[in-house]
Amino acid sequence: MIEVEGLTKRFVDRDAVSNVSFFVPEGEVLGFLGPNGAGKTTTMRMITGYLPATAGRVRVAGLDLAADPLGVRARIGYLPENIALYPEMRVEEYLRFRAAIEGVARADVRARLEEVSERCMLGDVRRQLIGTLSKGYRQRVGLAGALIHKPPVLILDEPTVGLDPRQIVKIRELIAELGRDHTVILSTHILPEVEQVCRRVLIIDGGTLVADGTPEQLRAGVSGATELDVEFEAPEAEARAALEALPGAAAVRSEGDGRYRVRAEGRADLRRAVFALAVERRWVMLGLRQTVPTLEDVFLRLTTRDAAGEAEAALEEAANA
Amino acid sequence: MRKTLALIGRELVAYFSSPLAYVILTAFLFVNGYVFWLVLSYLNSPSAPPMAAFKLLFGGTIFFWLMLLFVLPVITMRLLAEERRSGTLEVLLTSPVSEGQVVIAKFLAALVFYLFLWLPTVIYVAILARHSAIDPGPVLAGYLGIAMLGLLFLAIGIFTSALVRNQIVAAVFAFALLLVVFSLGLVENLTTTPWLKGALGYMNLWDHMDDFAKGLVDTRHLVYQGSLGVLFLFLATKALEASRGR
Repeated sequence: MIEVEGLTKRFVDRDAVSNVSFFVPEGEVLGFLGPNGAGKTTTMRMITGYLPATAGRVRVAGLDLAADPLGVRARIGYLPENIALYPEMRVEEYLRFRAAIEGVARADVRARLEEVSERCMLGDVRRQLIGTLSKGYRQRVGLAGALIHKPPVLILDEPTVGLDPRQIVKIRELIAELGRDHTVILSTHILPEVEQVCRRVLIIDGGTLVADGTPEQLRAGVSGATELDVEFEAPEAEARAALEALPGAAAVRSEGDGRYRVRAEGRADLRRAVFALAVERRWVMLGLRQTVPTLEDVFLRLTTRDAAGEAEAALEEAANA
Repeated sequence: MRKTLALIGRELVAYFSSPLAYVILTAFLFVNGYVFWLVLSYLNSPSAPPMAAFKLLFGGTIFFWLMLLFVLPVITMRLLAEERRSGTLEVLLTSPVSEGQVVIAKFLAALVFYLFLWLPTVIYVAILARHSAIDPGPVLAGYLGIAMLGLLFLAIGIFTSALVRNQIVAAVFAFALLLVVFSLGLVENLTTTPWLKGALGYMNLWDHMDDFAKGLVDTRHLVYQGSLGVLFLFLATKALEASRGR
């Protein structure tokens, strides 16, 4: 549905995005992750045609952006990062305006208006001036505007920024629902959002792609070890020795009050062995929890390594000079 | 076509829901009323030469020009600069409308508003018609001249609004450009070089307006003002294209 090939944007002195390529099949919800300033917005703006690319190609629904910009734009529903609306217009008036410029047939306008108002829960503010709406409602009006022409592709740039927790949950539910009949690219720097909504994740850092895969694949790719938090009622030295003796346990740290943290070798699952141990020694087990590396770990590892490396290199250079 | 109409409609909503529009309307009405009163008192004095009132009303006094030079940049300053500042331009330029369509729609909306400003002056025609015979030709030609000046000045204003993101800067820049275009013709009197005098005379907007108010519709005037207006609309489109993503 969306093909991006060698997309590059050079601003005067630096590459904001360099040589980014990816493909989004129809019906996929793609999470676009990256720290602030990594090039997420720039990439999305190039796909929507707002920002001309320095190099590279974008194809949406089989149409080439360079050859048929208006055709591509008609197939994309775009929610920019900073939702900008006309404050002097009423919600319904604005959506009618959007419908007209997005090319919705006159006969369909009413039906589309009903549908997007319902989907984005705008029922009670349709007659209200946009300037008087809260941030959450404005976000929904922007989203309704992006949906009005039934675009096959949705590009949402940080749709949950600045919302309160309840609104965030609502918008996420809405996006997950939209993912059923749209191809969606969703940029964010909120990781739980991605795990909830997206089937596939791209991580961009410093203008280049550093990871591409499902959240599970990304987690597996990182060499993080499984860890186990155990809480026993048992003599400390004895418990510690017993845990260390378990096959597959790499290290044990006592954290006091009968709590231990056991690091496994690789991805070994020690929960059964620990449970059996407690039963055998007749220790009362108060807690057992396994932690696998989160997407957060993946993200931090991928996006901070370079910065740390650069800082080191800079220090070395300074030392040599 | 429907997209252009929607853009024009939105722009008119924006005009008539902003206080600025009503300030402009009031000021315009006030100055026009004042000039009308001045002209009538002047023509009523026994020593005044016989003359059509509308020849003075339409471009015959400096008030007419001062008002156009000051008010028209204010009408156009918001059009593109504000969309860029607030970010709504991003929505506009990622929807399937071309830059040319956006510029034309904004221009037409501004022209409608401008003509609306002149609408109350039709009352003066009616008042004069009650008390004396009026030759409709020069009056209609005068309104045509006013529309042509609007076309040219508004096109220049849209061009400056396409260049910047600050409305005030757009207005000041437009005012400066209008002053240059307006004074080109006045410089005619300061030169003695025959070819230059001829060329500048061709660009003398005050003379053009005088001709229109006399009932003389000269195609040269129409071509000069029309083509210059179209040139600035074209430049505005190019400026908008070049400023994508800025």
